[in-house]
Parts: sequence; structure tokens; C-alpha cells
Amino acid sequence: MTLTHEEISAVALSVKVAAWATVLVCPLAVAAGWLLARRDFTGKALVDALIHLPLVLPPVVPGYLMLVLFGNQGIIGKWLNEHCGLSFAFNWKGAALASAVMAFPLMVRSMRLSMRLIDPRLEGAARTLGAGPFAVFCTITLPLALPGILAGLILGFSRSLGEFGATITFVGNVEDETRTLPLAIYTASHVPGGDAEAVRLIVLSMALSLSALLASDWLTRRVESRLGLRGQNA
Amino acid sequence: MLELDIRLQRGGHAMAFAIDLDEPVSGVFGPSGSGKSTLLHCLSGLLRPDSGRMVLNGEVLFDSAAGCYVPPHRRHIGLVFQDAQLFPHLSVRNNLLYGYRRLTAKQRRFELEPVVELLEIGELLERRPGQLSGGQKQRVSLGRALLYSPQLLLMDEPLSALDERLKRQILPFLRRIRDRAQIPILYVSHSLDEILYLTQTLTLVDQGHIIGHGAYLDVLSQTDTAEIAEAIDLRNLWSVEILQNQPGHGYSIARLGSERLILPPAPVDTGKTITVGVRAAQIALSRQRIEGITIQNQLPGQIVRVISRRHGALVEIDAGVVVVAEVNGKTVEDLNLRAGDVVYCLIKAQSIEYPDC
Repeated sequence: MTLTHEEISAVALSVKVAAWATVLVCPLAVAAGWLLARRDFTGKALVDALIHLPLVLPPVVPGYLMLVLFGNQGIIGKWLNEHCGLSFAFNWKGAALASAVMAFPLMVRSMRLSMRLIDPRLEGAARTLGAGPFAVFCTITLPLALPGILAGLILGFSRSLGEFGATITFVGNVEDETRTLPLAIYTASHVPGGDAEAVRLIVLSMALSLSALLASDWLTRRVESRLGLRGQNA
Repeated sequence: MLELDIRLQRGGHAMAFAIDLDEPVSGVFGPSGSGKSTLLHCLSGLLRPDSGRMVLNGEVLFDSAAGCYVPPHRRHIGLVFQDAQLFPHLSVRNNLLYGYRRLTAKQRRFELEPVVELLEIGELLERRPGQLSGGQKQRVSLGRALLYSPQLLLMDEPLSALDERLKRQILPFLRRIRDRAQIPILYVSHSLDEILYLTQTLTLVDQGHIIGHGAYLDVLSQTDTAEIAEAIDLRNLWSVEILQNQPGHGYSIARLGSERLILPPAPVDTGKTITVGVRAAQIALSRQRIEGITIQNQLPGQIVRVISRRHGALVEIDAGVVVVAEVNGKTVEDLNLRAGDVVYCLIKAQSIEYPDC
């Protein structure tokens, strides 16, 4: 089947938005995952709950909050617009921000789990061999958590591909700017006689998500065997 | 060398360790759960005591009063874990060099090649830890700690995860490290036999406290708790020179001090020196030399002391070398064994082992 301009635009935009969202939030998610997996501090439960909030709130709520904070008249949005020339209003950057916020908890969960599975005594052994906390993180924790981190990235990417509620609330449904695949499907399904178009988009959406998940599985296996974590009697 | 006086709470138990350690190699012995590992973790810095003070070679590592706490990566104290804890994502070579690479050239006292040779792990360098057997892992782990040139080497039951056969394979490597590396070692084990193989200095730990420290017979004569009485299976270790070793004879002759010893066929050539072991419980004592008996070794000696234990007694005898025999309490009474008495130590040739081989 040949794709129409609208379909190509929706797919390309979805991939761009999801990729940016994933890349942006990755370092934060790794840091937050490490903090929750390896550190005890007062208020940890609260931090944990706050991080997970976007996962359990109706997506409209974070979308609306972002509109208030990051819109051109919002406290942060206004400052960013004036000082960095960065605007999130009704463009793809806003869509990426919305996806990032919604994907964050899922990615943190994946990172935290992968780090908790690492025997803390390995990190202890590294400490007794002269590695400071940062060196231990870079040479032991991070490489051993890599399969989990990659899985988290793909999970975040897939979640971003499907992001709908927060995006439409925050940056609307603007063709070529914020109309990602889910929004395009929503639009098509609301146009009389748009069912065929909606089905085509749905097939595209499924193919994209499925490829992401298969890629994730392949990548994780490759990394695990390169790290020596797979297929051994250890 | 090491001054220690620390207190901490661990799993609802109050622990307090106080000791001044000067011996190059000391064995820390105690039942499981007595706090031996906790002690090592405090020394390495992985665990911070609640209060107290810790000084190693004049350097203050911990002083709660002064608010001083040196983190583990600045202590230069090596720790060998029970289960090796090799980094699974690094090759054996990179595991070995992990600490080495963090030293300046001046701080390095060992190089990769001699250590690899000492531990016989040259074949393994490019492998991943997942491809190693338990004994190989533990040897790599020893090498990794050595290459960091620690000023103190802590070993936390390094053999307990291995079976008997592997233990016997690794023990000689520990001896080699002791003899060639010149690093003070604190060796934790719940096996007195392992400890005595490496050192005669014993530090006794029980219920979160150090209850004895010194030459092992002194320590054993001063303490007699049920756990320790049960755990003890003493073995004499002597260095002997093989005098005669003819294949086909079924036995060898060796010199022990000024006496001759008949042993099972020796695994080394005539003229070589080798370690032999005899369990204290396998040695019988007699007032006079006995003729017409199948026991061929009868070493004359003088009783140094009789140490009463919960189950029987340990008799320390000076027969040119120190001989420790374990006898039951009734024998001591019946024979009226006392310090100064002359006795013969009866040792069956078959009871003599070669622990290094």
C-alpha cells in the first residue's frame, strides 16, 4: 500500500517525538532508578510516589498541568521562551515533553529493577579495589544494568508512540506539528467515512510498536551475551 | 600494625571488637554468625561502626570522636569474598587489573605476570567469570586483590563455597601468597584446620566479641565454649625432609627434627622438604616405647602442658617439633599425665597425610 502525505507525516512525527522524549528522559530515569535502588533517604516513599504519579493519574491531568506550567503564559514556559527562545506551545517539542513526562515512570521502574538485581557486594568489591562511588557506578552498576536500561528505553519509546491524552490536552491536534499516530487515528475516526483511513493508521501503529518490541528483545539479548550475562553456568 | 576498638549494632545484637594486632598473618576463628564477617566489613570500610576507633599502620581509618571515616576506596585494604564476586561483564584479565589500574606506578607492588604465574591462571585470562569453575574464580579473586597491592588483605571464608577437593587445591596458593607477597593477612574461617594451615596465630570471635588472641594453643587453653569445642578438629602440620623414597616399597622415610618418620609413599623426590599432617585425635600416647606393635612411629617427647577441654584434653608435647595429641579425659586421669613427663607419641604411618598434594 502506498502511504498518503498525512500518514507519512503522522508516522515520522510519532517517531521523532518518541525518540526525543526517550533520549531526553533517559539520563533522568537512570539517575532516579539508581537513587531508588541504591540509596535510602528521608522522603524516599514520597519521591517514589511522585515519580509514579503520571502513571496513575488521568493523562488529562499532567497534560493540563503542563499547559499551565510550560505554555507560553506558564511560569516555566514564559521564562524559557524569553531566555532560550524555547516554546512548547502547539508544536512537536511540546508533544515530546508530554511523552517524556508520561514515559518517565515506566522507564524509572525498568532502570530501578535492573539495578536492584545487581548484587551490591559486586559494588562493594569494586570499592575495596579503589573505585570511588562514581567510578563504581560507571564501571560496575551501569554496564551490568545495561540490558535493563535498554529495555527501559524501548519501553519508554513504545509508550511515547502511544501517548494521547496528555499530548492532546497540552499541545492540541495540529497536523504536521502535534498530530502523532494516535491523534491521527482519533481524527480519522471522527470524520464521517474515515473508518478505512483509521484502519490503515491502526495497522501502521501496530507495525511500529511491534517492531520496537522485537528490536528491544533482540538488542537485550545481544547486550546480555556481550556482557557475559547469558548462556553460562554462573 | 592494627589497633581496633569499635562498637556497632547489627541485627539486634551489640557487637564490640577490640584488638591490637601485630602478627603478619592471623586467623579469625569462630562459629557461624559470631560476627567474623561483620568485623572484616568494618575493617574494609564497607560497614561503618557506630563508634570507636581504628588505626592501621599509624593511619587513622575511623575515629567516631573526631568524626573521621576513611571510605573503602581510600583504605587500600583488600577483601576476598566467600564467593569471589568477580565482575561478570569483564574478562579475567580486566578483573585482575581492576584495582591495579587505579594505582600509581609507585603504589604498585605486584605485576600481572608474576601473580598470574603464582596462581596458575594464565590460561584463563581472556575468559569471562561465567566460564570459570569455583576454584578458578577464587584464584582470580585472590589475584585481583593482590594486584591492588593492599596494605592489609582480608579473606572472608574464601574456601567455604568450595568442596573438599577444591579446598585442598586452593590452600597451597594461600600459603604461597603468605610466603611471597609479604602482605599482612587476616583470614576468617569457621575451620580451624584451614587457619592452622596458614598461621599459628588465632583470634577467637564469639557472639560479636573478640574473646581471645594469640598462639592458638594459648587461646584454646583459655577459652572453652561449646561451639568452639565442637568445631575443633586439630591437625599437626610438620615440615619433613624425605630421606628415602623408593618406588614399590609402599612407604617412605623422612626426617622430622632429629627423629625418623615412616610415611605413606611421598609424592616428592628424596631430599625434598614437604608438609605432612596428622590429626591430633589420631595420635596415641604411651609412657614407654612399645615393642611388637604395628604402629611404626614412636616419637619420644616431653609434655609441655595438658589443656583440659570440654570433650577430653589436648596434650602439647615437645618432641623436637610441637606435637599436639587429643586424648579423652579419663586417659589423662588414669595415666596421670603432667607437664614434664616423658611420653611416646604413637603415629600410624597410614594416618599421615600430605595436605599440599
